[in-house]
Amino acid sequence: MELGRAVLDQQVTDRNGTPMGRVDGIVLELGGEGPPRVARLVIGGPTLFRRISPALARRVERWRRRWGPPERSGVEVPWSKVTKVGLDVQVDLDAEETAALAWERWVRERIIGRIPGA
Amino acid sequence: MKLLEIALGIVTGIGGFLEVGSLATSAQAGSEFGFQLLWALGLGVVCIAFLVEMSGRLAAVSHHTIPDAMRERFGVRFFLVPLVAVAVVSFLVLASEIGGVCLALQLATGVKFQWWAPLVAFIAWLLLWKGTFGLLEKGTSLLGLISLAFLVGAWKLHPPLAPIVAGLKPSAPTHDSARYWFLAVSILGASVSPYLFYFYSAGAVEDEWDESYIGVNRITAGLGMAFGGVVSAAVVVVAALVFLPRGIQIERYEQVALLLTDPLGRWGFILFVASLAVTCLGAALEISLEMAYLVAQGFGWRWGESLKPREDARFSLVYTMVVPLAATLMLVGLDPLKLTNFSMALTAVSLPVAVIPMLVLMNDPEYVGDWGNGWISNAAVLVVSVVACVVALVALPLQLFGS
Repeated sequence: MELGRAVLDQQVTDRNGTPMGRVDGIVLELGGEGPPRVARLVIGGPTLFRRISPALARRVERWRRRWGPPERSGVEVPWSKVTKVGLDVQVDLDAEETAALAWERWVRERIIGRIPGA
Repeated sequence: MKLLEIALGIVTGIGGFLEVGSLATSAQAGSEFGFQLLWALGLGVVCIAFLVEMSGRLAAVSHHTIPDAMRERFGVRFFLVPLVAVAVVSFLVLASEIGGVCLALQLATGVKFQWWAPLVAFIAWLLLWKGTFGLLEKGTSLLGLISLAFLVGAWKLHPPLAPIVAGLKPSAPTHDSARYWFLAVSILGASVSPYLFYFYSAGAVEDEWDESYIGVNRITAGLGMAFGGVVSAAVVVVAALVFLPRGIQIERYEQVALLLTDPLGRWGFILFVASLAVTCLGAALEISLEMAYLVAQGFGWRWGESLKPREDARFSLVYTMVVPLAATLMLVGLDPLKLTNFSMALTAVSLPVAVIPMLVLMNDPEYVGDWGNGWISNAAVLVVSVVACVVALVALPLQLFGS
């Protein structure tokens, strides 16, 4: 399996099929014999912006601390929680319980949820 | 069942084709160059039919929307290029469409267009906030059928067939060549709007298309765009027969409003105003949704116009911000016709960026399997978008600073 092509930038869905972001990074583990193993997938958070530019990532982190959700956004998913790699990457988690949806929750509670009819 | 879908798809094509861009550029082309620029419209229609068909096929075979597949295939850094280009162009076109609705209201009431911008923005936002995808898509395209009035208008003027057919062949202008090429690329930009096929792919995924839809898709894309193009051609024809002999050059929208009064009398004015309002509002809704789709799909957020806003908060936030911001351009008094012309030419400039990544996907078996593009559609789309971009890059500065 070619990791870059097959996993990186793929849509991630949780166990209920809820989209929870994209695979923005892959953490590899070097250890012992054989080739490196995939340890974790990184979804959202500073990793996404760091791929575009490190300066941008720092700035977005400052903005978040100042105005955004208090919790650090983004989540690392251990490879053992990955249940399927196909059209999407499916993980055995509940998106609402993870920091992957930190911004989504923040926007829902602070902005969209306050508009009548939401 | 499939027949119904084909009919609906064609109606969507007809009702959704004409909007502020094609209306303004077609009217200008007809009043200044008669039938001579019809070829640009024909070329645009062929190109957009190919692109719409491709985006439907991509969605049916791979179950990916265009932004989704682009992010996955090219990575986040490259994805930013089409994301920013399409978003900027879409934003300006959205402002033009909102301007079109405002102008229709000005024509109907006499109250200056800019005062209508907040109300129009609110109505558009409310429809997006409350409406479902099916309601918005089908509602706007059914109402958009009112633009068939232009076809009736053209018919009543007994247009001469031979010069119209001759206009379908590209020819060099006899006068004002800078203006001629500027209008040619503006017509291409107005017909080949990236928002149209980006929106279409999201719709096909939202309607859960699979490979059994490839045939339906081919027919609806081809016929829908062709009939839609005929309505735009009718605008060129009416303008050529009504404005050109009187030497009227369109510098303001108020002049365009008289397009149908010659063939249809007082009803012509009413139908024009209604067509302008309805088609521009429909396009404004589609463009706002397309921008929300683009961002949400690119970053893997939850999206869907049929969900409640709080279920896809970030998606809803995008259109909630974009609609009032675009309306602000009208509120500060930017000239809607100038903005329309500028954004159509800019669309032409952006075409290669919006189209070439899509062509790569359409030739990648990982996405389209055995349903990849043939060489004709590859060549047609590539040549039209690159040539349109180059000509627009030359014509845009000439038009802005030349005269």
